[in-house]
Amino acid sequence: MGDRQVAVVSAGFCEHASKRSDVNMAELVNEAVHNCLNNANCDIDAVDAIVAGNMPAFEGANLPELWMTDWLGARNKPLMRVTTGGSTGGSVAIAGYYNVAAGLPGIETVLTVAFEQQSCGNTSVGLSSVALGEISIVNALGLPAESAMRIFGAGAAIGIASYQAINYMNRSGCTEEDLARVVVQNRRNAAKNWWTHLKMPDYTIEQVMATPYISYPLRFGMVTPASDGACAMLYTTEEKAKDFADIPAYVNGVASVSHETAILGVGGAGAGQLDPCEQVGAVESAKLAYAQAGISFPEKEIDFAEVYSPFPNQELMWLERLGLFEENTAHLRYRDGTTAPNGELPVNCSGGVNSTNAIGASALERVAEAALQIMGKAGNQVPKTVHSAIGHGWGGCINLVTLTVLSDQPRRKWRAH
Amino acid sequence: MVRLEYIKKEYEKTRQMPGKWYLTSCRYKFNITRFQPFLSALKEKRLIGLKCRSCNTVSFPPKLVCGKCLTRPDQWVSLRETGIVATFTANYMKDETTGEANAFPVIAVRQDGADTTYLTQLNPKVKFEDVYVGMPVKIKWKDNTEGNLNDIDYYDCIDDPTQKMDSLTK
Amino acid sequence: MDKVGIVGYYQVQPSLNLNMGRYEMIFNTVRGALDSVGLKRKDVTSVVSATNDYYDGRTISNCFTVEAGGAYLKDESKVEMDGAYAVYYGLLRALSGHHKLVLVWGGSMPSCFPYSSSTLLSTDPTFERPLEIINDLTAGGLQMRAYMNKFDVPAEDIAQVAVKNHKNAAKNTSSLPESRMPDISTETVLNSDVLSSPVTELMYSQPCDAAACILLAPEQQALKIRDDPVWITGVGYSQETYYLGDRDLSRSQSMQDAAQMAFRMAGVKDAKKEIDVAELYEHFSHEELIFAEALGFCDPGQGPSLSTEISGGIPINPSGGGMSGNAPCATGIIRLIEAIKQITGEAKGYQVKDVQRAIASGQNGFCAQTNMLFVLEGGSK
Repeated sequence: MGDRQVAVVSAGFCEHASKRSDVNMAELVNEAVHNCLNNANCDIDAVDAIVAGNMPAFEGANLPELWMTDWLGARNKPLMRVTTGGSTGGSVAIAGYYNVAAGLPGIETVLTVAFEQQSCGNTSVGLSSVALGEISIVNALGLPAESAMRIFGAGAAIGIASYQAINYMNRSGCTEEDLARVVVQNRRNAAKNWWTHLKMPDYTIEQVMATPYISYPLRFGMVTPASDGACAMLYTTEEKAKDFADIPAYVNGVASVSHETAILGVGGAGAGQLDPCEQVGAVESAKLAYAQAGISFPEKEIDFAEVYSPFPNQELMWLERLGLFEENTAHLRYRDGTTAPNGELPVNCSGGVNSTNAIGASALERVAEAALQIMGKAGNQVPKTVHSAIGHGWGGCINLVTLTVLSDQPRRKWRAH
Repeated sequence: MVRLEYIKKEYEKTRQMPGKWYLTSCRYKFNITRFQPFLSALKEKRLIGLKCRSCNTVSFPPKLVCGKCLTRPDQWVSLRETGIVATFTANYMKDETTGEANAFPVIAVRQDGADTTYLTQLNPKVKFEDVYVGMPVKIKWKDNTEGNLNDIDYYDCIDDPTQKMDSLTK
Repeated sequence: MDKVGIVGYYQVQPSLNLNMGRYEMIFNTVRGALDSVGLKRKDVTSVVSATNDYYDGRTISNCFTVEAGGAYLKDESKVEMDGAYAVYYGLLRALSGHHKLVLVWGGSMPSCFPYSSSTLLSTDPTFERPLEIINDLTAGGLQMRAYMNKFDVPAEDIAQVAVKNHKNAAKNTSSLPESRMPDISTETVLNSDVLSSPVTELMYSQPCDAAACILLAPEQQALKIRDDPVWITGVGYSQETYYLGDRDLSRSQSMQDAAQMAFRMAGVKDAKKEIDVAELYEHFSHEELIFAEALGFCDPGQGPSLSTEISGGIPINPSGGGMSGNAPCATGIIRLIEAIKQITGEAKGYQVKDVQRAIASGQNGFCAQTNMLFVLEGGSK
């Protein structure tokens, strides 16, 4: 009974901002759930199971899905909670897919919800505590706490991003202006999408370059904001999909592959990842998901990409690792406009994580936006018809990569089963 | 869709609840016994790494589990004092007296003979603008070693033979 | 539902203060499970873990467990609930046809964190947390009082359940050593320290350090690995509302829904006749009675009159259940392992006779807000 074809039929968002102090966490989530169900013209009774996730450390609330049961619509329904750090949204999307694909009797329509209200908590505490265990171990091995914090503090998200930026610029010859160009494209796209956080329709490269460094070579103007927001997405089976949407987006491939922990290793020891730009996890994820979807030439077959890139250099790097551009050429494609909304391969038309980052929700928003582009309902819809699209996410110490491949056609049944 | 409607509302009645994550009450266990040979070697100003017998990966500082093979590496191998910069970055820290933001370079060193990197600090006299990926470095020991990670004072730059070759060809 | 086989398992000996690092504990568990059937890491196609950020004292608790958990370059995910939910996710992955061998592990170290204050953090932050009244212990006290009052059950009957489980734990070599009490009596239970009236210390499943791991494979693959895998033939789970005031604490709606879903899947019509043994994750002794009633073993309020000893009519928790050591995030998996042992006949000293079909449960939240139930069956005899 397994291996059921899965389709995305609806997606919903709440409005994102740096401080949504008008609602609490549960009400924030409820906005997205409502928006999603309204878009599918159904109510919560149509939902058989729920998958939820966020990064609990950022709000200071453990197991929040328990007390927000009623706001999620989960009363007397099955609920599973999946969290994997930054890629939480991607993992939630994949868990939702498996819930439908497994073919358990009685579980056909699944609601996936991911959220984050970062203004509730202290994001820097949340991020620095990723490595707290490792730092305390290194401290026990004799390194003074202060210098351990300084060295490994650079190993938190922005630190690793700057390691990646250095290595990427070193190998590809991409300049700081190229990074700024990526940011400008994202912020301008965000201005056309209703739910995004940083809307900057007139942002220019000069403005980015005028801001100070926060961690070389990343400047203040290039960095992702911290947002409050939630996203919900509705999955169902191929048979039921047409009841909810005219053009469903079929999920044809999913993968979440983790590589060794970048830079920091087990017990604060060395990691085997010499080049943080190498991203074997992303390459493996792409291989797995494309194989499931029957995609042999991703650079030609994929029409639209939503990649998870809080920092501009990562957008370039992921596009290459996911097989959409040749090695070390992604920044050239931004120069010639291939990735603009009217280009050959539009990237991050929603504005991307660079403009809106409600951490737990971000990766689910990537999948949801990719699905909406196929369904023709996106806020910043591209002019060309999108046949297949990808939604990507990363988490942990940039080692767990999630990838979802969507298409307007069901998967070709090639697997002997 | 009405944009940013919520900002216009008034929130006189919004109340914030205090909440704490008692992070300081968490402790982290670690097996120091298996690390002991490494620490003893540091006291003698020697560097050793752990080698996985299955995939021959040498980790420095030693890793207690080899993720590739899911085994426990148990062969100690000696390493040289030199290494190369695998990658680097700079943190900007505000000086409390002057208020200026100072660059604090952090480098990831791959020790010669090892396959993994170690996050550490560079000689404070070296400007971080001069650092590049692939730069050779050498360990600088503390005068009195005590058998812990702090015995490595910092890493110092050494002459790069490849740069000399470049200048010769020019 | 297609059948999914459990082909291997391993559990670290629980302890109040385990003499291992976290990564070592995880490594030992995962390696042990693979070695129990002679498989290699390369045979695994997917890894699902169960840990909790607050229990591990770090954000993204699965971030550094990649190597030790065997997830290097594998399709990996983490479920932040009880281990039973990770098993469910692993089951979905095995059923989907994408994966041939799914490794599921879960575990934590309560010796490194204050368990009850971390449960305080999972209360409603607006209304409940500032008051600091509700945590898992007070919720348990409220639930026990509600049950006793509703059905007029004396505390001795509930203490009797704790006595049975502590005596069973004494026969189980993989239980927490401190929980083994062969000579315990109802008086000892009732006279132990009061945690939250009427719950006493010996009615509470003590948090301990442990990790557990099981291997799941779809039917065809499982038969290639071993001749006699234990099959998961039914699964069900449900969540009820959060606020204790909105719920009837004397019964468990979520367990009833979970049982309905799981029994329909497995084709069980009369639970009392068709289930040979039950391994239930009870946080407090009275929850075992509430669950037994929700599962349909008896009418509401009749739980204390059930014969649940190892030789009884419907043996519940022959291993000692939650009383034999509660390792947050691992207990659900450990209950499953104990149910497997009963089916394969490996439960030396506490074996129930002729077990064909067993159930195992996992729970999460205050007063078992959400429950997960598995129906397990042995191979054809």
